[in-house]
Amino acid sequence: MDTNGDAAVKVVPVRHVSRWVGWAFLALFVAMLVHTIFSKIPQSCALVAGKYRCSQYNWRFGWNQVFHYFTNGQVLKGLVVTLELTVLAMIIGIVLGIVVAIMRLSHSRLLSGAAWSYTWAFRGTPVYVQILFWGFIGFLFPYLSIGIPFTHVYLVHFHAKSVFIPFNAAVVALGLNEGAYFSEIVRSGLIAVDEGQTEAATSLGMSRSQTLRNVVLPQAMRVIIPPTGNEVISMLKTTSLVVAIAVVDLLGAVTNIYEQTYQIMPMLILASLWYLIVSTILSIGQFYLERYFARGALRTPPPTPMQRIRRDLRGIASKYRTKRGVQVGATP
Amino acid sequence: MQRFTRFRQVLVMAGVASLMLATSVSAGASSTSGKYNAADAKLVPASYKGTTLQVATDATYAPDESMKNGVMVGFDVDLMYAIGKTLGVTVKEHNVTFDSILLGIGAGNYQIGNSSFTDEKSREKQVNFVDYFQAGEGVYAKSSSSAKFTGLKSLCGDAVAVESGTTEQSDAQKTAKACSSTKKLTVLSYPTQTEADLAVSSGTATFGFLDSQVADYVVSQSHGVFKSVGEAIEVAPYGIATPKTSTGKQLAKAVEAAVKTLIANGTYGAILKKWGVTAGALTSSKIVLNGALS
Repeated sequence: MDTNGDAAVKVVPVRHVSRWVGWAFLALFVAMLVHTIFSKIPQSCALVAGKYRCSQYNWRFGWNQVFHYFTNGQVLKGLVVTLELTVLAMIIGIVLGIVVAIMRLSHSRLLSGAAWSYTWAFRGTPVYVQILFWGFIGFLFPYLSIGIPFTHVYLVHFHAKSVFIPFNAAVVALGLNEGAYFSEIVRSGLIAVDEGQTEAATSLGMSRSQTLRNVVLPQAMRVIIPPTGNEVISMLKTTSLVVAIAVVDLLGAVTNIYEQTYQIMPMLILASLWYLIVSTILSIGQFYLERYFARGALRTPPPTPMQRIRRDLRGIASKYRTKRGVQVGATP
Repeated sequence: MQRFTRFRQVLVMAGVASLMLATSVSAGASSTSGKYNAADAKLVPASYKGTTLQVATDATYAPDESMKNGVMVGFDVDLMYAIGKTLGVTVKEHNVTFDSILLGIGAGNYQIGNSSFTDEKSREKQVNFVDYFQAGEGVYAKSSSSAKFTGLKSLCGDAVAVESGTTEQSDAQKTAKACSSTKKLTVLSYPTQTEADLAVSSGTATFGFLDSQVADYVVSQSHGVFKSVGEAIEVAPYGIATPKTSTGKQLAKAVEAAVKTLIANGTYGAILKKWGVTAGALTSSKIVLNGALS
């Protein structure tokens, strides 16, 4: 015991009461969520000999339905259509976006004006309206032709319906809409590159197009890539609007199924799972692409998930070692 | 302060305007016939008495149901209001897509689905139907088209536009499976009948395939753009849908009684005549619960 009056200061760790309460609530919520997701509800119940008996129990979320149809032919076909639409629309959008952004920054009034008008029209109207517009374009122009304007001399002349079949109309609608958005992303990337870079390139005797291709664009990519990944994932989901013009994509396929079986929730869960799987794969791709283009700007690129796990494991291991070391030292 | 008073004035005016709008809408809705019938009203399930029955309808199917100046009109709509009056309950019509109606009834969003439903055995597993009318399936095409319709098989080799969730959609899809690989049938399913009609007029599809009297109406309203091709096929009863619960079944019995009353007092005939669809009228003995033919 201490006799000189100085009570020994006992060091205790700070008690994070609210933190523990928070964890408890979260744990409770997660438990409830998991329980409801994997719960079963009684079906075909009846009073049998004075007791309420149910002969059948079904998954509340219809998991058996979800997995029964998960790799169904119709669903996979729809998934392929969704992926095709996403890829094709993004290719059109990216190419168009780059061209339009460069036109927009041109000194020519004609080019910048045309680019501005395009962005104005296609960004200013809902993509759903545009899908309907292209889907029913044959209403406005039954025939499409390439020839001498205002005459009946044609080089090529064809039915609008043979070109603008629903799938093609959907690709055009999504691609043109994406082009307008993407041009703004590219433009912001080009503007973000310091003006000194252009000046330096010019003083080295590079032409405007050389400067653009060799100096400005590569640096702009770092700014352009992150929102591009975002746009791809956004496009993946926007494609579901094409149901309006009778394209059977992933959502269309599950709709066709639940119209027959009336199992709407399991089918929507199924579609959501597929969308999540694809968007997860896409975000992994985005991460590595971003890392690649960050090369020129960051001394050490951000760690990959694998590197992070390894680092964390190493951290835990070394902590454990030191703790044991202290304990060993403290023991008399 | 001044601005605040101004704001209040605007609010009052907006209130008056919305009130006027509300009266005009309800005036439009109540311009139907039908008389309260105490015996029929007794059949309404207790839990629905004094409440408003939520009715789901896809109003893209003139003359059965469509939107006119923001108000839902059509023979189905008039009949629904007349049924409501007979049973002494208020009904509220919701304009939704066809394929969401039966799902909405299953989820408890609506108590009644009233939208030219063909009473089918597969649908009877989901809801109860009160049969009240009959119609066949009809086909139309552009006037300039040389295409002919001589039964479902003759659709092979072309594109047909249908509305999602309809009997015609499933019939067309069944036909598509039976077509040979050299003469494939493309079935284009649109969210509403309006878009399916647009697909035919824009040339994306050759045929429009829908209930016969609606097809006739589309043709008559097209100013010569469309023509009917071939005869109507597969005549089947229409049903008013109610939930597949015991209360839903009881409600169906009340609706059944109301339709019979409306036939007896001539309201049913008058409504059908008003919309030019008397060909599909049923006699009182054919008003049954769940009388699907197939």
